[in-house]
Amino acid sequence: MKYLGILLLTFLSFDVNAQELFVMTEPASNMPAGSIGIRNTNMITFKNDGGTNYHNMPEVMWGVDRNWMIHATAFMNNRQGNLMFQGGSLYAKYRFFSSDDLHSHFRLAAYGRVSTNNAPIDQEEIETMGMNSGYETGLVATKLINKTAISSSISYERALNNNTHQFPDNQGNSAMNYTLSIGQLLHPKEYTSFKQTNVNAMVEFLGQRLNQNGKSYLDVVPSLQFIINSQARVDLAYRHQIYSDINRIASNSVLIKLEYTFFNVTN
Amino acid sequence: MKNINLKSILIAAFVLIASTNSYSQISKAEIIATGLTCSMCSNAINKQLKSMAEVESVSTDLNTNTFTVTLKDNNAVTPNILKESVEKTGFFIGSMVLTMDLGNVQVAENQKVERPSGTYIFVNNSTKTGPIKVQVLNDGFVTKKEFKKSAKLQAKFAQATANENTYLIKSI
Repeated sequence: MKYLGILLLTFLSFDVNAQELFVMTEPASNMPAGSIGIRNTNMITFKNDGGTNYHNMPEVMWGVDRNWMIHATAFMNNRQGNLMFQGGSLYAKYRFFSSDDLHSHFRLAAYGRVSTNNAPIDQEEIETMGMNSGYETGLVATKLINKTAISSSISYERALNNNTHQFPDNQGNSAMNYTLSIGQLLHPKEYTSFKQTNVNAMVEFLGQRLNQNGKSYLDVVPSLQFIINSQARVDLAYRHQIYSDINRIASNSVLIKLEYTFFNVTN
Repeated sequence: MKNINLKSILIAAFVLIASTNSYSQISKAEIIATGLTCSMCSNAINKQLKSMAEVESVSTDLNTNTFTVTLKDNNAVTPNILKESVEKTGFFIGSMVLTMDLGNVQVAENQKVERPSGTYIFVNNSTKTGPIKVQVLNDGFVTKKEFKKSAKLQAKFAQATANENTYLIKSI
């Protein structure tokens, strides 16, 4: 009940962007310079040994200039009983190449993340977005062709000790991640106003391979995105494990993500 | 008596000069942006243009990504300022057509016109007077494809357009 309340309260974030505003990954494009976005991700994970966990991740995003973006995220979950604050993360992205044409573009960006987490380490999967202290650095490429967007990223992720919890010696502490995301603008077929609701369908593939032992997993995330009034964005996603030989607390999860952007705040 | 007359003449002259200067400003800009499809991206550009003090109003065609920007009287806007505004949002310009009144100017090929909003060099002839529509042909104001197509033309005027706030324009 408490969680439903939080869910409803957080139903106040919206997002800009459309078919390349993927749910699980960031595209190579940036927010407009000087804009600030607030985002909230709500996730229910289905544990492999039964039961569920609830995760809540509020995030603030800042378009520093046309090429730089910075995000700050807080992690909360109820893995240890009550919903509590577990850690946070800082993320920066730099768009270093952009080639645009009518209704199309190709962009490249580099990104990095540092995270801190104070929860015990109970799985082999490395996830600096909410589970592990550590860092991640990678490259992302995004192509937009009319109403279709394709994005792919590759990154290196390294887990460190979760503050007082030592990282287990017998687990791989670094991984390569690879993603492929495809999004399609389904509605409207033709625009008549900013007030029309946009509907995007997306499917993303997220993979991880631990460097030390070669164990890996591959997930697929289909999602539906509604953009209301060219201001509000609501994402509904289901993350499903295709295969894994990595030990994970949860293989599947559902997610609701909301975001709102304030334009021209710092410029 | 004489002083008042002189004062009035000076004021009248000043007003005349000031009013002729206002004809050199850009009154409207039709901008086609590149790199986007969705209405939220258009909204970002729409809001960025509207936030400029010199902008009177912006009307958007969401299907062609065309932004018609009406500027206030006596504005100090240059084509570069408009380009910067769009690029700040993360997108680029595919086409920019300006409506300006250059006054009594002989619009001929290679004709250079200097105004407060910039230096303009015509690539074609035109027999119009009063407010005219011109397309800016500089790099960054047309699509990459268009720029490549006009390579010969660009090379001809390369030295001139290398100067600050100098624009190659085509009367349309």
